[in-house]
Amino acid sequence: MRSILGAAIEEEADVTLVDMEAGLEHLSRSGGTLAYADVLLVVMEPSRKSILTAGRTIVLAAELGIPRVYGVGNKANLPEDQEFFETVSAEYNVPLAGIIPEDPDVVEADRSGVPLPPGRGQPVRRAIEEIIAFVEEAVVPA
Amino acid sequence: MKLGIVGKGGVGKTTVSALISQTYAQRGKRVLAIDTDSNPNLAFSLGLSAQAADDVPLIPRALVVGAGDGAMTPADLLRDYGAPTPSEVILLHAMRVTQAGAG
Repeated sequence: MRSILGAAIEEEADVTLVDMEAGLEHLSRSGGTLAYADVLLVVMEPSRKSILTAGRTIVLAAELGIPRVYGVGNKANLPEDQEFFETVSAEYNVPLAGIIPEDPDVVEADRSGVPLPPGRGQPVRRAIEEIIAFVEEAVVPA
Repeated sequence: MKLGIVGKGGVGKTTVSALISQTYAQRGKRVLAIDTDSNPNLAFSLGLSAQAADDVPLIPRALVVGAGDGAMTPADLLRDYGAPTPSEVILLHAMRVTQAGAG
């Protein structure tokens, strides 16, 4: 059965993004409206623990029937964290959708609880564009 | 397309969620951003004030999991529960942990 929220997502939006703070296990009880995603991105920081957690999340997401699950490396000090994310993600079977660089503009916006100001954080914005391109490619293979 | 974002606290999930949804909105897409946090922060990253963030109503569980009473349309749901943000992304608050646990 499709819920009202599910209908709104299908009919009234081109893209719906669900910030799944409640966690996959909790959301899976919502009848699928919030737990199911066409693509799931697991955000990680450059630590082994974070990537290990992402690997576990990917296993759980697969059990819930989510077809495409990828890691996103965030807060990367380039270039050394790029290699770290690539090596450790491969180790824990986490396919990478992209890597986002650490950026003082983002840290400041986060600290102040405001959006990233227009024109700031260009390297981060470029990384986001690349992740979106990856996601689009994954959903509709060329 | 429905895109889920997960990750432990502090990894930057909310920032990533906000930037992806704003980028799609800038491309002219109709974007919904649904925050399921019991302490929702996505509102701030989408440009709402603390007061405006507090005023975003929580979607009743019956509308998250149920088909409603037939009187409410999907557009009504967005009108009644959606919060417009400066980037044109419509923000919804749904399914906090306490609610989810009750299911």
